Amino acid sequence: MLIYRGLSRISRISKKTSFGRRWLPSHPLLSGASHSAAAAAADSSVKVLGCREAYSWSLPALHGIRHQIHHQSSSVIEEQLDPFSLVADELSILAKRLRSMVVAEVPKLASAAEYFFKMGVEGKRFRPTVLLLMATALNVRVPEPLHDGVEDALATELRTRQQCIAEITEMIHVASLLHDDVLDDADTRRGIGSLNFVMGNKLAVLAGDFLLSRACVALASLKNTEVVTLLATVVEHLVTGETMQMTTSSDQRCSMDYYMQKTYYKTASLISNSCKAIALLAGQTAEVAILAFDYGKNLGLAYQLIDDVLDFTGTSASLGKGSLSDIQHGIITAPILFAMEEFPQLRTVVEQGFEDSSNVDIALEYLGKSRGIQKTRELAVKHANLAAAAIDCLPENNDEDVRKSRRALLDLTHRVITRNK
Amino acid sequence: MVVAEVPKLASAAEYFFKMGVEGKRFRPTVLLLMATALNVRVPEPLHDGVEDALATELRTRQQCIAEITEMIHVASLLHDDVLDDADTRRGIGSLNFVMGNKLAVLAGDFLLSRACVALASLKNTEVVTLLATVVEHLVTGETMQMTTSSDQRCSMDYYMQKTYYKTASLISNSCKAIALLAGQTAEVAILAFDYGKNLGLAYQLIDDVLDFTGTSASLGKGSLSDIQHGIITAPILFAMEEFPQLRTVVEQGFEDSSNVDIALEYLGKSRGIQKTRELAVKHANLAAAAIDCLPENNDEDVRKSRRALLDLTHRVITRNK
Repeated sequence: MLIYRGLSRISRISKKTSFGRRWLPSHPLLSGASHSAAAAAADSSVKVLGCREAYSWSLPALHGIRHQIHHQSSSVIEEQLDPFSLVADELSILAKRLRSMVVAEVPKLASAAEYFFKMGVEGKRFRPTVLLLMATALNVRVPEPLHDGVEDALATELRTRQQCIAEITEMIHVASLLHDDVLDDADTRRGIGSLNFVMGNKLAVLAGDFLLSRACVALASLKNTEVVTLLATVVEHLVTGETMQMTTSSDQRCSMDYYMQKTYYKTASLISNSCKAIALLAGQTAEVAILAFDYGKNLGLAYQLIDDVLDFTGTSASLGKGSLSDIQHGIITAPILFAMEEFPQLRTVVEQGFEDSSNVDIALEYLGKSRGIQKTRELAVKHANLAAAAIDCLPENNDEDVRKSRRALLDLTHRVITRNK
Repeated sequence: MVVAEVPKLASAAEYFFKMGVEGKRFRPTVLLLMATALNVRVPEPLHDGVEDALATELRTRQQCIAEITEMIHVASLLHDDVLDDADTRRGIGSLNFVMGNKLAVLAGDFLLSRACVALASLKNTEVVTLLATVVEHLVTGETMQMTTSSDQRCSMDYYMQKTYYKTASLISNSCKAIALLAGQTAEVAILAFDYGKNLGLAYQLIDDVLDFTGTSASLGKGSLSDIQHGIITAPILFAMEEFPQLRTVVEQGFEDSSNVDIALEYLGKSRGIQKTRELAVKHANLAAAAIDCLPENNDEDVRKSRRALLDLTHRVITRNK
């Protein structure tokens, strides 16, 4: 008991110093280890003790001991955490509310909203899950409850408002998807289920506008102008990201910086700014709000980078089994960008474009010879670690729900890296 | 930043300004006049500097409403112009054609996002709600127009509801927003709303008439674009009340231009045009009444603006184009 307390005190100190916070350079996944070995190792660690183990392999001893002790004391009590199941009940409440929020007078518009919920089911509701977990993780307990009734009411109201952020986020996300599908008009031939294919471009555009307007109304109802600004900015970022993707010059297409910026706008901005909004609604400090932002941003970037890899590899570790939809649409993603750094001649192929499918084969060949896939995974891991680090920096909290949610958020940073689809 | 990077998006922005000029900037004119008409003077100025700063800031915020309104209006126009799949098949999907669609969506989104950010900057959640509702109404109105059943197309109530959503909601809610920013009471805000709504409805009804009559008082000299697009407006709806057999023609549709001629014939025999004008006058009068109900104010600028707003209710009725 004494030892534990002593070590945990030391660990708290180490947490505040720089060496305890980051463990990037010696992370096993970042070393030259091959992708499959690292993935296998990570998988087994998940099965054993939860995700924290994976990050503590090469840690300085103190940090490692803290985790061992922590797991010894808590592994008896805690079961394997599924982040999604932690919030499953709440998510179905959200889904119901969302359905009622997008009911439209006009039947065709209502059908578009239905499509929206199909989409929600498909996506495992990743974003709302993150946001609800973040809400719990940042729970600020009222120190001296006046009496139970007041505390409950306040806590409930806050929770409702935070759920609203999750709903708004989904509405904005789906609105952007509906419009993106219109912009990728060529894809309606493959995606028979896409709304614009079924109901026409115009209705898809109108449905997207409708969802956006409902999101704005919901946003206004929160009566928090900073939150309104945050999410309004997201809408602008989504448009900017899409514009960047559609209209790149040759130099821009081959630039990793441009690509990361576009990826931030298109993918990470929504989740980062809504995490920050969650923190602001909870009345957290600016520092904590920034940590929430950082978590969302790095999680989103890691997610997209692995998405890029999977588009090439699919569910197998080898190349060319993925859907290859990015490259076929002429969208140059991180693996190819890395490969171009190693093989400048690949750039010529890229500039020719990929309407000619033989160019796709050539590019895949270069990609296979290069370390493009591995480097992309490494970059994803780097961002996942940054996300995990942000959670670690949150102010200490002994509440069990808070700790569970934080562990779940950490687990997510692991899952985005190891997922196969 | 985005505009500089993307030349095509810049062209869309040009379209935005062209539209503004073409429309004689009607909406912003109304909104700025309303802002002055509702001017609430600070009763005891602390010192000139403070009063000026406050008044200037308010005016800037109200101008922002006018800008946001234009952005929302043009965004909706751009999105309304996005064609259905059926049309792209006819258009053979030439690059211009496809790019036109994509650009229309993207440019509209761009304007909407800028409007959102500008709205947020006003830091007034009630105003955000009002203008977000406008976007929803524009969408609803356009969808109503796209997807009418036969009964709905022949219903005056449905038509007026659709017209409110498509045309009047924007101006009515932004007038209300102007009032709210000015710190006016709920009653005054409702009067501002009523003015905008009735002005907008009157405007649209006369628009419907002019589509048939053009610059002459006689029928058939207008562009006839509504009826040729199968859009049934107030004059025809009134004519159908007098001549039920016109409904059969309407249900056949107007791809066959001989049906257009038949409908015009019925319209000429009916009092459709006159009744529409009368309805427009009724709404114009309601708009004028709203101005008359505003709290008394002796400031000369305020009185001038209110007279101008009244003058507008007259102009929307008597215009020929």
